[in-house]
Order: sequence, then C-alpha cells, then structure tokens
Amino acid sequence: MQIISPAQVHSVIVIGSGASGGMAAWNLTQKGIDVLLLDAGDKFDRSKYWTHVQPWEAQEREARGEMRPQFFLDTKEQPYTTPEGRPFSLTRVWGHGGKTNVWGRVSLRYSQMDLKAAERDGWEIPWPIDYSEIAPYYDQVERLIGVCGGTDDSEVLPGSKFLQPPPAPRCGERLLMRGMTKLGLPVVAGRHANMTRPTRGFPACHYCGNCGAGCDTASFFCSADHLLPFALKTGRLTIQSNAVVARILTGDDGLARGVQYFDRQTGAERQALAKVVVVGASCVDSTRILLNSKSSRHPNGLGNGSDVIGRYLCEQIRLNVAGYFPQLEGTPTRNDRGLGGEHIYMTRFNHVPAKRRDYLRGFGAQFWNTGASTYGAHYGSYALPGFGASLKQAVKRRHPAWFEVHPFGEVLPYAHNRITVDSSRVDRYGVPLPRIDYQIGENERKMTEHMADTVEEIVKASAGVLVNYKRGQLDAMGSAIHEHGTCRMGADPKRSALNKFNQMHEVRNVLVVDGSAFPNASEKNPTLTILALSWRATDHLAEEIKRGNL
Amino acid sequence: MATFDRSDIGRRQAIRALASSAVAAATSASWVETLTALARQQAHAYAAEAVIAAQNWAPRTLTAHQNDLVVAVTELIIPQTDTSGAKAANVNRFIDRVLTDAQPTWRESFVRGLTWIDTRSRALFKARDFLGASPEQQTALLTRLSAEGNPDKEEAIGRDFFQAIKSMTISGYYTSEIGLRQELGDNGPLFLPQFQGCDHPEHQ
Repeated sequence: MQIISPAQVHSVIVIGSGASGGMAAWNLTQKGIDVLLLDAGDKFDRSKYWTHVQPWEAQEREARGEMRPQFFLDTKEQPYTTPEGRPFSLTRVWGHGGKTNVWGRVSLRYSQMDLKAAERDGWEIPWPIDYSEIAPYYDQVERLIGVCGGTDDSEVLPGSKFLQPPPAPRCGERLLMRGMTKLGLPVVAGRHANMTRPTRGFPACHYCGNCGAGCDTASFFCSADHLLPFALKTGRLTIQSNAVVARILTGDDGLARGVQYFDRQTGAERQALAKVVVVGASCVDSTRILLNSKSSRHPNGLGNGSDVIGRYLCEQIRLNVAGYFPQLEGTPTRNDRGLGGEHIYMTRFNHVPAKRRDYLRGFGAQFWNTGASTYGAHYGSYALPGFGASLKQAVKRRHPAWFEVHPFGEVLPYAHNRITVDSSRVDRYGVPLPRIDYQIGENERKMTEHMADTVEEIVKASAGVLVNYKRGQLDAMGSAIHEHGTCRMGADPKRSALNKFNQMHEVRNVLVVDGSAFPNASEKNPTLTILALSWRATDHLAEEIKRGNL
Repeated sequence: MATFDRSDIGRRQAIRALASSAVAAATSASWVETLTALARQQAHAYAAEAVIAAQNWAPRTLTAHQNDLVVAVTELIIPQTDTSGAKAANVNRFIDRVLTDAQPTWRESFVRGLTWIDTRSRALFKARDFLGASPEQQTALLTRLSAEGNPDKEEAIGRDFFQAIKSMTISGYYTSEIGLRQELGDNGPLFLPQFQGCDHPEHQ
C-alpha cells in the first residue's frame, strides 16, 4: 500500500472531535493556532435528524426506505474483545461531535471532594489540581455552552453561578423529592447542558424530550454544533473526516512527529505530521492509540514507561429500578417530555458521618423516564397481570404514574482493570484491537448494597411501588459510558502518565484531554469536567507554543 | 452520557438491561426475554424496516394460519373497547416484523407456542384449533396461561408463549398512533416555549 507522507507539518493535530477534541480545536484556533482535526467519522446532518418523528411515523419512513441517523459505531466494523465471563458494554460514536451528539447532557461539576478523594482515603492517586484551579474553567464552559440547573449548591455540587433556569419537575419527580426530603437525602434540580434560554444564536430547548435522537435545533451542547463551526470560522481549522488514527508516530528523540491513520472509506494508509498531538478520541480509543504507538523509545506504548497506561480503567456501577406511584394512577396523561432526562438529581450524601458506611467513595442518583412515556407504554407494563379490557385499563391508569431510580456509583481504580492491545486480533486495517478486562470488587458490592437500601427507602418514603424489582441487580459493566483512568494525570511520573496540564510526562508534545485523564471516576457524569479540563490544558499548550517550548 | 432518559443511548442500555432479564417474569425462559427485548427495540423502530402501514401487506415469517392466530390472541390481549384494539393497530404485522428480525431459535420458540396453543385447544375443548374454540374457551385458556403460580408442567410452553406475545403486543400497540394517541392520550405538543411541570396542587 502506498503511504502518502505529506511534507506539511501542522502546528497541532487533534484526534477526535467530541467534547475533549472539539474543545481543544476550538480553544487553540481561537488563540491563533492552526489545527488539523482528525475524526474517525463524518459530519452528521442535523437537518436529517428524526428528533420529532413519532414512533409510528418512524415505521412509515423506514418502510419508504429512509434511514435515521446512524450514530453508533457497529462492533462488526470495529470489534473489541473481553475475557470470557467478563463482558464490557462499550458505546462509541465515530463522527463529528462524537458522543456529544446523543449524550445524556447531565452536567455536574466535580468538587474538591471528588478531586481529592484519594488524599482522604488513600486509594490510588488524587488529581494534581484543586477545585479552585478548574472552577474558572467550569465558569467559562457553562457560559459558553448553556447549562440549566438550580441554585442549590453544596460541597458535593458547587458552582451554580452561571446556570440557566431549570425546567419544573414532573409530578412523579415531585413525589420522589418529597420522599427524599423526608429522609434527609439531598435532592437538587437536575443540571443539564440543555439551553433553557437562547444562547449564542441557538434557540432554547423546546422540551420535545427526544434528545437521544440528536437535536435538530442544536439546543443542547454538541461539539459539532457549538464548537466546530466557530473554530472553522477562524480559518485556522482543517477537519479531516473518516480518519481512523492508528498510531502516533515518534522520532528518534522520542517525541511525537505526527500520526498514522487509515481512511475509513478507502482503507488507504496516510500520515499527517505535526509539532504537537492532542489526543481526545474518548477513553478506550485514545488508550488503544497510545498502546499501539510502540517504538524503540516507547516499547510499552507511547509515554508508558510507568506502565500505568491502560490500567486503572474505572467506570460506574448503576442500578436500574422502576416502579409507580398509586397516587398518580388514573390521572390524565400529561406532557412529561421535558428536556429528555430527569429534572431532579440526588447528590452524594454518604460523606456525612451519620450516613457513612464501610466502603470508599459514593453515589448519586438520576430518575429517568419518570412520568408519562412518549414512546409507548413503560416496559413495566409487561408485568401487569392478566389480559383483555382490564389489562388495557391498567396500562392506561399506570401510564402517568411510572418512575425510575438510577443510582450511579464510583468504581475504584484498580490496576488489574485494564485496556490492552492484542496483536493477534486486528481490525480491518491490521491495527490491534482493544481488549477490555474489567470487573468490580468488594468495595463496589458494599456500595451496591447501600444503593439498594437507599432506593428502597426513597420508594417507601414517597409511597411508590416497585415493579419487577431485583435487589442489587447492576446494569451491564460499561453501560454508564463513563470510562476513565487509563491515562491518568498525577503529580508523580512513576504513577501517572500526564502532568497537571494533561501533557504526557514522558512525551511533552503529546496531550491527552479526554476522560482517560481522570485519576478516578467519581459518581458524576464527566463531560462538563472533560470540557473544562480540555480548555485548561489547551490554554497551557497555547502558552507553551507561544513561548517556543514546543 | 448515560441516561435512559429519552435518549437513544439510554434506550439501548435499557434494552440490554431487559435482555439481561430485568423485566420479564423471573420464571420465564430466556427466549421470552430476548423476544420481549427485541419487540421493545423494534417498537422504537431502531432497526425496523417496517412494513406495518403497507396496503398490500403479507406476513414474511408467519403462515396465514399463524397470522390469523396472532391477530386473535393479540386482540384478546388488547381488545377493542371505547378505543380500537390490537387488531386495528396491526399488532400482528408488528409481531411478524419482530419475528423476521429475530434469531431462528427465538422465532422457532414462538412458533412452537402457536402450535402448542392449537394442540391445547384440541385437547381441552375438542376444538379444531384455537380459532375454532368459542370466545369463552379462548379466554379460559389464556386465563390459565396468565395465572400466576400455575403449576401445570404441561402448560409451561404455553405460559412462556403467552408472556412473549403479551409483551410484544404491549410494545406494538402502545407505539402505534392508536395506542399512544387515542388510548394513552399522548397529544402533547413537541414544541413548548416553557415546560410547565406538575400542575397537581396536591403534589407540589
């Protein structure tokens, strides 16, 4: 195969255009730096989204041969492997904006508690930054993208200063709030990257509730709508679509000199050269690229003399509990669409001594699908007894009364939970596949018990009834889609891959700016922090470039 | 990321959770759960190349007799009342679509259930088949199959079948315009300037 090696050396190559890579490209171009952005997919066409297509209309459209946008990467195209008996559910979106096209939009700042958890309990390493260092970036991000939420700050969830007004809770959420308040559990307005006020020329959320189909009005944050077009306007951004990056190329000095990638449409191998490489391909794919970037100077993968890259994969555990409120049965069906997700959030509470138990870290809870579903009967309806007119009536009576509780808990970083690359299993380009070996331990099992107790208490206190309840049954590993830890930042180069500015300890012209840089997962959704961290890292990078250090 | 809010990713997760048995009755066979999950997925039409609304529809997986049987059983599950039932909502077409996409073993399990219900109707009622039984007899058989704690081992196949077709009927019916709009009353506008939230005075 012919290898085209263009002579042009770019200032910066950014790999990936989701939250982390999109932010890196946006910030660097705003600062006058030229960027070549490589994304493994194409642009999704917002004008062709099925945001407002009803289920039966979708069926008719598909009968006419139309296709809804295909956001998710098929494992047939890009497999990954797991050991027998330890499945891991990996979700990847290859295309401009990555997973921000369809993300859950929950936007929770990490607190000093999250960043310094390891300092307190001694488990692995703390973040090399304090909340006060990242707080100004959270401020900037929230103002830029538009995040709604309440003013109910706490030591767990700080920083509501720039939030837009939150939508009102649904009836079921009101009942859940009452129950939690009765129990002394902290419940706040949900914080989401849905704009409830027009922001930067984008219209406010119109509460159709179908964010997961992609937003055709770009009223929630998506990198492809809210960052990339503005970066392109500077004239300093070049986007190379369908560029599946395989390896970062290094020179004799051990520094990066560019990347090797494959054209997803033709399979052709290509190279692009740059003075700096910023990696933001999402945790698993970034880790795969680094581990596949072996050379004589980097025999264990790029910048991996410490052997930490690939290790400490940490995600979150989650329960998925459903039930209904008899108080709401038979009430008229309301429009509960809202902003496509719960309007309330239970923050972590187990740091309070009276609520503490014998495990490390904590959990919060979301409450998806509470209220009348807009795409059919709630799946709990399958368990209603009998059939006939009585079943039909029961489904209808219960339709407005459903609620769900989804506690998310932090999984500790363990050295044995790791991503490796397996040279015996390669993709269509001959590039070794990622292998994900991940399991939870005793700490998580104890936390699961506490999560289950808490769910049961909340349901009891709010007079709900559980349906098909299986105590402690966790969702599939990986299904929170919050992978972290495999290229972590830290103060000690022996125990971490990145410094406090996401720059590799061992390869100073490579930055890793996605969730893999997090030393621990926390119980929170990470995207807001990824955006803040990538902004901060690329601010530093821009200064280093201007100082002539890179 | 990560919400089975109204998000696509979330739905996928819920389907996975479903497939890992979170939802179907604890005693039911795995094929019941997988078909239930597939029906739920198809109800949201993520993979469906649906032909449900077509004028010249013909079943792709079911035989004519099996299709008639599915029409009858689904209409018994969700009958016409003051609103239309499963038959008017073409739930049989939805089920044929799900079966067409299902793995052969699941499909065979479902079809075995259809055969079983005819055989059982002959044994219990001396009827030609289920469709040849009286409405009272049909209802009596489904009542046995839906009864909790039915200890009759002979009827295990039928109970699994009933759970599967019931879940699939619920998925298909309530995602149809008839089910979602007319029956459940979901007519909420898709564009709101403001989300009102709960307006029940007693739940504030």
